[in-house]
Amino acid sequence: MSTYVYGITASAHPALPKDLAGVGDPPRPVRILEAGELTAVVSDAPEGLRPKRKDLLAHQTVLAEAGAAGVVLPMRFGSVAPDDDTVTSVLTDRADHYKERLRALEGKVEYNVKATHQEEAVLHLVMSANPDIRAMTEANRKAGGGSYDDRLRLGEMVVAAVKAREGEDAAVVRSALEPFASDVSLGPESTGWLVNVSFLVDRESADRFLTEVENVRGNNPHIELRVNGPLPPYSFVEPDAAEHAGTAAGPGAAQE
Amino acid sequence: MTVVPAQQTGGGGGSSGLYDVLELVLDRGLVIDAFVRVSLVGIEILKIDVRVVVASVDTYLRFAEACNRLDLEAGPHRSPGLPDLVGEVTESGSRGKSKGALSGAADTISDAFKQARDEGGRERETESRPRARKSTSSRRKEDDE
Repeated sequence: MSTYVYGITASAHPALPKDLAGVGDPPRPVRILEAGELTAVVSDAPEGLRPKRKDLLAHQTVLAEAGAAGVVLPMRFGSVAPDDDTVTSVLTDRADHYKERLRALEGKVEYNVKATHQEEAVLHLVMSANPDIRAMTEANRKAGGGSYDDRLRLGEMVVAAVKAREGEDAAVVRSALEPFASDVSLGPESTGWLVNVSFLVDRESADRFLTEVENVRGNNPHIELRVNGPLPPYSFVEPDAAEHAGTAAGPGAAQE
Repeated sequence: MTVVPAQQTGGGGGSSGLYDVLELVLDRGLVIDAFVRVSLVGIEILKIDVRVVVASVDTYLRFAEACNRLDLEAGPHRSPGLPDLVGEVTESGSRGKSKGALSGAADTISDAFKQARDEGGRERETESRPRARKSTSSRRKEDDE
């Protein structure tokens, strides 16, 4: 029976809640493997495990429960060892490394922030800052929407202006929140958000970070911020993970 | 404006943010080379999808249309009015966030699998991403209602 691994904690870590449900259907019970001063949070690995919603959620929930009680090094989803002994021997072989990481992340949690534009609000901003766009919009409107080429030309200018604004607002979000974080990890670029950035924050001072989030919201009503946390420090498990995360192109990146 | 996503308040547990943390769960976290990872065929598609940045004719036309529909007088001439508008939109957006996020993730994953099946190894057809984004948020709102 292969072993599904959720994360690594110190053996001094408080006990997990009883009957914590792991991946699989039916959910496999979560259990603990001890190896010296380290423990692995594991369950049996179900046959044919796939990244289904239910299993992703189980992975995240187990780590959230473990992380609520103390620091945990979260595994990426889907890590399966051939058996329990492989897990404990990995912990034993690399004990110094994992203990160092646990010490470095002690008392810290990850907050992931994704920002998007309120489209209408940002169009207003772009238009008020750019007389050409405003004039062209009015001309097109008077012409009943404008010709295909007119619309294309307007759209191209608007998209360029919105993109520029995205860059500026990404910097606004980052520079406002960075002073409240001990580390920052930039996520991949996408059109799904104008910035996707994780902050490593002291659990104790998380309220200061969240207050600043509210300030950013209040000062920038055209920016919508989605904040997720406190999370286990997914983006900070490796010392150099923060450097790599921005360019990580696949499973090969930021590995050991 | 009261925009406090539910997941901020929880000590640890909570499923509300799965959609937004999907990329962390799948793409960050510790990887140990002595372990194998389960096959993530559908997820590879998801990851490509997430990284595609497209400025297409469709996008241009959509933005031109959005400008055309925009109430110009509500903008720079009436800037004090703007926060009202945005506040309203943001509030409904946050309701979507706290409740609809899970089903959003389900859709994303099942979409990813569907694409993997439908398209096999073929390159994913690009499309107007802002439109896709919009449909995601409206879908979340629908879930909410």
